[in-house]
Amino acid sequence: MAAESHSDTEYGRTGEEEPELDRGPIEAWAARSIKNPGRVYKGLFYTAMIAFLLTTLFPFYWLFMVALTPSGSLQNIILAPSTFDPTLLAQGDLTMGTNPGAFVEIFERLPFHRYMFNSFVIATITTVIVLIISSLAGYIFGRLRFRGKSPLMLLVLLVSFFPPAAFFLPLNRLFNRNIGVLEPILSDGSLYNTPYAMIIPFSALFMPLSIFILTTFYSQIPDGLEDAARIEGTTRLGALFRVIVPLSAPGVATAGVLTFIAVYNEYFFSRLMTDPGADNWAPIVRGILGYQGQYETLFNLMAAASIVGVLPVAILVVVAQEKIVSGLTAGALKE
Amino acid sequence: MADVTLENITKRYEDVTAVDDMNLDIKHGEFVTFVGPSGCGKSTTMETIAGLTTPTEGKVIIGGRDVTNLPPKDRGISMVFQNIALFPHMDVYENISFGLRLRKYDKDEIDRRVEKAAEVVQLGGMMDRMPDEMSGGQRQRVAIARAIVRNPDVFLMDEPLANLDAKLRVHMRTELQRLHKELDTTIIYVTHDQAEAMTMSDRIAVINAGELQQIDPPLTCYNEPKNLFVAGFIGSPSMNFVEGRITDNGFESDDVNIPFEPAAYNLSTGADVTLGVRPEDVYLSRNSREAADPTPPLTAYSDVLEPMGNEIFAYLKFDEEAESDMEEGVMPGQLLISVDPDTDIAEDQEVEVVLDRAKTHLFDTTTGNAITHQIAPVDTAGASGADAEVGSGD
Ligand SMILES: Nc1ncnc2c1ncn2[C@@H]1O[C@H](COP(=O)(O)OP(=O)(O)OP(=O)(O)O)[C@@H](O)[C@H]1O
Ligand SMILES: [Mg+2]
Repeated sequence: MAAESHSDTEYGRTGEEEPELDRGPIEAWAARSIKNPGRVYKGLFYTAMIAFLLTTLFPFYWLFMVALTPSGSLQNIILAPSTFDPTLLAQGDLTMGTNPGAFVEIFERLPFHRYMFNSFVIATITTVIVLIISSLAGYIFGRLRFRGKSPLMLLVLLVSFFPPAAFFLPLNRLFNRNIGVLEPILSDGSLYNTPYAMIIPFSALFMPLSIFILTTFYSQIPDGLEDAARIEGTTRLGALFRVIVPLSAPGVATAGVLTFIAVYNEYFFSRLMTDPGADNWAPIVRGILGYQGQYETLFNLMAAASIVGVLPVAILVVVAQEKIVSGLTAGALKE
Repeated sequence: MADVTLENITKRYEDVTAVDDMNLDIKHGEFVTFVGPSGCGKSTTMETIAGLTTPTEGKVIIGGRDVTNLPPKDRGISMVFQNIALFPHMDVYENISFGLRLRKYDKDEIDRRVEKAAEVVQLGGMMDRMPDEMSGGQRQRVAIARAIVRNPDVFLMDEPLANLDAKLRVHMRTELQRLHKELDTTIIYVTHDQAEAMTMSDRIAVINAGELQQIDPPLTCYNEPKNLFVAGFIGSPSMNFVEGRITDNGFESDDVNIPFEPAAYNLSTGADVTLGVRPEDVYLSRNSREAADPTPPLTAYSDVLEPMGNEIFAYLKFDEEAESDMEEGVMPGQLLISVDPDTDIAEDQEVEVVLDRAKTHLFDTTTGNAITHQIAPVDTAGASGADAEVGSGD
C-alpha cells in the first residue's frame, strides 16, 4: 500500500498525462489535493467557518426555541419545542403550537422597554462622553510631544488594569452620601438610583481603552493635514474634529461600539448602584432577571427578553461593521 | 497692507538650529523667493511666518501687527504645502472651499470663487474627484486653488510647482505671476528651480544652514553675490573658485595670477583670498575681444567637453598630467568655461584663456565675504611700482 502510493506520486510528478491507475477513492482524492492544494484550504476554511458559526449561533437558536416554548413544557425541547406541530398550520393556527406571545408578555409583566431604554440611554451618554474626552486625550497623546508623555499614558492605562470591583466600595459610599451641591439638581442630593451613578464610573472605566485606540489612530494622520486645516482657518480643536476624527472614523467607530456594548450589557455596577425598579434606572440585565420570581422562574420570558435586548446592539454592529472591521485590522490610514 | 517682517527669528529643535537669527523685511506686494540647499530652514521659516511653529526667539510682524503669538487662522495668510496636504476625505470642491465654508460665505459666493480658482489652475470638470483619484500634478493644482481662493494678504508657497511637468510648470509660473500682479498680494515662495527663482522673484533670499546670506533682486544676487556661498549657489553651472593670496602685484595662486592694485581694495599683502569667475566670463584668448577687459592669458589644457547645443561646457585643467575627476563638479586646479557651440575646441588641447575683469570676483577666504565684484587693471602710469605684465600663467 505504502509502496503503491509512493509510485503514484512519482508518476504524478514525471508524466504530463497521468496514467490510468487502479486507485481507491481516498487515494484519488489525495492525489487531486496534492495537485490542487487550494481546494483543500478552501474546504478547511469552510469546515472551520461552519464549526465556528455553529458554536456561536446555536445558543441564539436555542434561546429562540426556549422563548417560543410555552412555559409549562420547557423540559421537552428537542431542537424545537415539543409542542411544535407544523400540521396545525392547516387548521389555521399560525403559531404551529409555539408561543410567540412571550415576546409580548415580557412587556406586560414588567416595563421591559423601560429597562432597555435605561441601558440604551446610559450606554449612549457614556459612549458620547468617552468619545469626546478620549478624542481630546488621543490628540494630546498621539500628536503632541511633551515631557512625561509615556509615564502619563501608562498611568491612564493603569486604571484599566484594576478589577472594577476594587472601585465599588468607595464609589458606593460616595454615591450614597448626600452631596450638598447636588441638592438643587437631584431630589435628595445623592447619586444613588440616578443614571449618573453609572455613567460616571463607566466613563472612567472604559476611557483608557478608547484613549489607547484613538491615540494610535490619531498619531497616524500626517501632520501636514492638520497644518493645512489650521492654515485654512480652523483652530487646533477644529482641525481635530473636522479632519483628524473623520479620517480616523474606523478607530472612532471601534472605540464607540466597544464602549457602547460593554456599558449596555453591564450588570455588576448597575446592580449595586440602583434599586431593582425600572424607574430607578436599573439596566437591561436587571430587567431580564426580574422574570425570576420567588416561586417560579419564567425561562421563556427571560429568553425572549434577552433576544429583544440584544437587537439594538446587533443592529448597531451591523451598521458599523465595515468601519469596525477595518478599525480592528488596519489601524493605519492609507495615504 | 501686508508687509512681512521677521525680527531676529530663531527656531531651535532639540539639537538643530533650523533658523538662526533671521531678519527679513518684505514689502507689501513683493514676490520673494527663498532658495538654499535642502534642510537649510526654508520650510521652517515659512511655517514660522504661517504660525504653524512658534519661533524660539524673535518676532513675526504681518501688516504692522505683531502676530508672533496668533494662530494661523488670524494671520491673513494661505499656504501651499511642500507635501500638498489635501484632505483625503473631501472631494476637490470641498477641498478648495474648505476655508470659505469655515468662514460662512454664502453658497453663491463660494461657487463663484471656487470656479474662478479652478479655472486659473485648469481644473475644470474635476470638482467631484477625490484626491486619491488624481495625479500628483492635479493634486498640486488643487492645493494652489485652495490657497488662492481666499484672497489672503500673504501667500506662502513651498515648492508649489515641484510635481508638474515642464509645460504645465511654465504655464503655472506665468499664471502665478499674473495672479500676483492682479491680486496685489505678497508672495513668499520656495523653490529648488533656479530658473523659477530668477524669473519670478522681485527679490531672492539665499539661506544656508538657517542663516540668511543675502536678499536682493535676482540679478544682484547673480552679479554681486555677498559671499562665497551665494556665489556658488546661484547660477548653474556654478562659479569657478580659485584659492590664492594677495601679493604686492595682485592675486596669485599656483595656477592663476592676476595683476591689480591690492591697495585699491584695502587688501594687504599675504591675505588669503578666493577668486571667483563664472563659466561664461572666461574666454579663449583667441576670442578675447569678447571680453570687455581681459586679464593676461592663462595656459590650461582642455579635458572633458560637454556640448549642450546652445553652448559647450569645457572642463579645463591647469596641470596637464592631472587625472580628470568629474564626480564632484569643478575641482581645485580645474576651470569650467562655457564657449560658443561653433568654437573650434577639442579634448586634450592646450588652450589659453582670459577672464573678464569686469566679472571677476574676489572673496575673503576666511570669512567668505565678497571683497569686490570686478578687478580693475593696474594703472600703467601707476604708483607702487607694480609690474603690469606679471604672471601670465606658468
Ligand atoms: N519638527 C522638527 N523636529 C526636529 N528637527 C526639525 C523639525 N523640522 C525640521 N527640522 C530640521 O530643521 C532643519 C530645516 O528643515 P526645513 O524643513 O526647514 O528644511 P528645508 O529648507 O525646507 O529643506 P527642503 O528643501 O528639503 O524642503 C532640518 O535640519 C530639519 O532636520
Ligand atoms: Mg522644505
